[in-house]
Amino acid sequence: MLSFSGNLLKIVILIISAILSFSSRLFSVLKFESVIHEFDPYFNYRTTRFLAEHGFYKFHNWFDDRAWYPLGRIIGGTIYPGLMITSSALFNVLRLLNITVDIRNICVFLAPFFSSLTTLITYHLTKEIYTTGSGLVAAAMIAIVPGYISRSVAGSYDNEGIAIFCMLLTYYMWIKAVKTGSMFWATMSSLAYFYMVSSWGGYVFLINLIPLHVLVLMFIGRFSHRIYIAYSVLYSVGTILSMQISFVGFQPIQSSEHMLALGVFGICQIKAFVNYLKSKMTKEYFEVMFQAITSTVLIAAMFIVAVLVFTGKVSPWTGRFYSLLDPSYAKNHIPIIASVSEHQPTSWSSFYFDLQILVFLFPAGLYICFSKLTDENIFIILYGITSIYFAGVMVRLILVLAPVMCMLSGITVSHLLTKYVNFIETPFAEKVVPKVKQKRHQKKLEQQVGVKNEIAVGFVVVLTVMLITYTFHSTWVTLEAYSSPSIVLSARSHDGGKIIFDDFREAYYWLQMNTPENSKIMSWWDYGYQITAMANRTILVDNNTWNNTHISRVGQAMASTEEKAFEIMKELDVDYVLIIFGGLTGYSSDDINKFLWMIRIGGSTAGGADINERDYYGANGEFRVDKEASPLLLNCLMYKLSYYRFGQVYTEASKPPGWDRVRAVEIGNKNFKLSTLEEAYTTEHWLVRIYKVKDLRNRGV
Amino acid sequence: MEVFEKLMLLIYITCCSLLIVNGAIDPEVINKSVERNIDISTQLVKITHKIQATHTGKKPFSKYSFLVNEKEHGNLSFISIKDLSTKKEFKAQENKISAGYEYEITFPSTNNQHLHIECVFTKSLIPHPSKITQNEKQLVRYFGNAYFYTPYQVLTQKTTIQLPTSTVEYSTNVPMPVVQSGSRISYGPYENIDPLQISEIIVHYENQTPFLSVTRLERVIEISHWGNIAVEETIDMTHSGAELKGPFSRYDFQKDVRSGQSSIKNYKTILPASATGVYYRDTNGNISTSNMKIMKDSVELDLRPRFPLFGGWKTHYTIGYNVPSFEYLFNNGNDYLLKMRVIDHIFDDMVVEDATVKIILPEGASNVKLISPYPVNRKEDTLHFTYLDTFGRPVITFTKTNLVENHIHDFNVKYNFSNLNMLQEPFLVIIFFFILFGIVIVFIRLDFSIYKEKEN
Repeated sequence: MLSFSGNLLKIVILIISAILSFSSRLFSVLKFESVIHEFDPYFNYRTTRFLAEHGFYKFHNWFDDRAWYPLGRIIGGTIYPGLMITSSALFNVLRLLNITVDIRNICVFLAPFFSSLTTLITYHLTKEIYTTGSGLVAAAMIAIVPGYISRSVAGSYDNEGIAIFCMLLTYYMWIKAVKTGSMFWATMSSLAYFYMVSSWGGYVFLINLIPLHVLVLMFIGRFSHRIYIAYSVLYSVGTILSMQISFVGFQPIQSSEHMLALGVFGICQIKAFVNYLKSKMTKEYFEVMFQAITSTVLIAAMFIVAVLVFTGKVSPWTGRFYSLLDPSYAKNHIPIIASVSEHQPTSWSSFYFDLQILVFLFPAGLYICFSKLTDENIFIILYGITSIYFAGVMVRLILVLAPVMCMLSGITVSHLLTKYVNFIETPFAEKVVPKVKQKRHQKKLEQQVGVKNEIAVGFVVVLTVMLITYTFHSTWVTLEAYSSPSIVLSARSHDGGKIIFDDFREAYYWLQMNTPENSKIMSWWDYGYQITAMANRTILVDNNTWNNTHISRVGQAMASTEEKAFEIMKELDVDYVLIIFGGLTGYSSDDINKFLWMIRIGGSTAGGADINERDYYGANGEFRVDKEASPLLLNCLMYKLSYYRFGQVYTEASKPPGWDRVRAVEIGNKNFKLSTLEEAYTTEHWLVRIYKVKDLRNRGV
Repeated sequence: MEVFEKLMLLIYITCCSLLIVNGAIDPEVINKSVERNIDISTQLVKITHKIQATHTGKKPFSKYSFLVNEKEHGNLSFISIKDLSTKKEFKAQENKISAGYEYEITFPSTNNQHLHIECVFTKSLIPHPSKITQNEKQLVRYFGNAYFYTPYQVLTQKTTIQLPTSTVEYSTNVPMPVVQSGSRISYGPYENIDPLQISEIIVHYENQTPFLSVTRLERVIEISHWGNIAVEETIDMTHSGAELKGPFSRYDFQKDVRSGQSSIKNYKTILPASATGVYYRDTNGNISTSNMKIMKDSVELDLRPRFPLFGGWKTHYTIGYNVPSFEYLFNNGNDYLLKMRVIDHIFDDMVVEDATVKIILPEGASNVKLISPYPVNRKEDTLHFTYLDTFGRPVITFTKTNLVENHIHDFNVKYNFSNLNMLQEPFLVIIFFFILFGIVIVFIRLDFSIYKEKEN
């Protein structure tokens, strides 16, 4: 029990950390404005608005005809609704209190708000695992860790924003349940697990980690009634609850990702039963019994699993999961997964970039945990090791790693500081010592720690400096790398002023205002969510890449000649085509740079059998758009739409017209005309170009 | 035979019209001279009349009728009638008669009355052709009357039409004399014209000035007695000129000076001088392309829509600002008077098709009276709930269609409000925290557990 001043200090530190974690995520609002970021958040925002307007049942049964034309999408059954329900519940509570807040602002500030809660829950979790001091350090660290900020800045309204909180909450409840063995905490943890399942697909990590923890405890002989109760309750209640989410459905008992949890649940029962029998029987009887039971159960289990796999009841592992285990799997098999940058393996530099000193403190934390093994320490060790593996496989899973890095680093820092601060002599201590005894006492101290005092001071100074650099690094990374909404681009002009490229919103707003309500827009899938949310128009494909063939068809249209593409576009009933073009401004993630993926994805299905990636490379096997480029590329739809009339534009002094600033070449095919499409709108900096598909020509004309 | 029939018809019509006119109109009054100036250099048609009316019987008269024919009346947005020399405004009574709409002006009895009548018509210039390509010029047609439409005899009259440029495709050149000099066309002078004469004229000319109309304006004024008035306008805007035909080429638009001359790239909105915290946004967030200039007596906003507006293109946005309440809110004890503009200046020569003004008064305001500068359509009062409200703030709503700049006038709202009401909301917060702290104090001091766990 801490003293009153200790308690006060603890509360002050926690409040400061919580405020810090909220406010450091507001850079994006201060630099730009209160706006939703990126791509997926726009979908979440749109669905949240729908939920707030129409209520839960309409939302649950929502069939969205604005996306995946002409297929549509059942929204209610294909999303994790936790995020939307959280923010619309907040919205309704505020409405009830007559606090008029725009739903958009709730969405923008939800992630920072939940980061504050994460800070608090990290403290509690670390406190349960180690000490109060380490909890405070971990809380302070997670408040500003860039790896977590990257996904939770204001405006980044995505599942991960609340999922990390849910995950740590579940862990906290689980540790509590393991420590106390009470059904209350186990039930609480299954409720937290339910919240986690409702908010993020990453719950699979959680439902494998906890069984793994149980399994390891069993192996090293730490299985007890407490763990039996905790896990049995968590698994049974949690699984039933998780099946209430319609997107999850029967997966927890069918898909192979969940089989570890089920298996461990079974083993738990057997183990408990065996322990019970052991306590009631003599040793000889028990051994016979044990052998009989294990062999029968093993054979039966293998048989059941085999039958289920062959009959297809247990689904094979999905591609995204395979790529977790084998990083090269997706690249070789599924272009649509490989094409997403956040699914790429993590580079070493990004570990340092996102975690800085935590990378070095983490192993020390592991060591400290190992040196004092407890049930809950084992959990944190497992969490650390598994998440560092997954973070290495897929760059966006650094997010899952960041909290455990903070916790273990918090343990390290707190452990080391407590150790070394004790060695530091304070002048205050000298005064307290009575004068008579002072001489002898001092001598004794000198003998014991005389040298250590300087070392201790030095160590504390070094650690402090490291922590300070961590703070600066985090702030800098947040400011520079993670606080741009990507919907508004900014650049520096020659005189140092800030230029804003607001072309995306310009184009989307133009679509919303000046096209017929039921227009169908064809664009590459990256922009699907943004178009439906900001332009309120029907699109063919979006970021929910559930139908590969449909996306492939769009890829085929983009990769074909204008005449062929016109047929595909008429088949898909397209009214407008939207493309992103960076050649004028030098915006490098435009559609020409993504074009190889369109060719690959377009060619990956039967409809695009004639599309061969090789044909689009220039003579020397390079992808290029200048005179050396392949004639097929220079005449395909994507090229034509990107460079229509660009051949006349002077982009840079002393360069010929039609100079592409992204690829730094003069384009190979200028002055061509479009016959089946016409330019409908091009934004101020040519970033977004919209074309109208002409009607079929009248017969005989 | 034919001639006779025509004559009979003419006599019949004249009799009829005289009969109807006679009801209120004194036939002995004549227009000694009428000077009309028709300004069609913008999207509006502004007609100023300088009328010198006398009584043939040398008797003093105090009534004069001004007519607007039925077709034009639908587009009439604003009319003001003044004494030419004293600039004193006269009240006029609007009546529907067979010859159109009559404005019956009453003034102090006199032998000789000089009137200055100003009319503003909207939507009277018709783009012709109605669709143009990006590089074409916008041509419009004006349909008017060479004569002053009046129930009285006119001794001498002259009409001048003011155009934006001297480019005229076609203009009616009868009745003579018609003279065009530069950007002016004059019809007349004509002598001794009978009442209710119509001789249609058509002017087909180049007009590249912005044809911009606000199709819907919602203006919300929220009053706080803590010293602030928040104004927010939601605007739907359309380019109502010749529609864009065919593609829009950004290259031409940026490189070719002749391209898109009739399109609207930006416009000036003028806000009150004390306006602060101005924002300009739409459903997708802040519109980053705008400039604010603070002038001596106003705040000038140079607004640029996200995209240039071509014919038929629409946009929608919200603009808002705060002004200190002491400039607009006056009180005498508990009686308050709010004096604010019905609408702001959105752009030069603006047209607002449909405006809704909502005034949100503080919670507890009573005896609300609205005094508008011109007739408006008052809607039912509603309640508005926002921060810490318990029983709602009264909202006064009124609408008005077809407004122009001349409608920028102050309205007055009178109401009673007790200053004690202002303390209600802070008091609510204090009580809430008091209860909260009380509960916490009780909760942490008492032990509610039903089972005492043994100390380990």
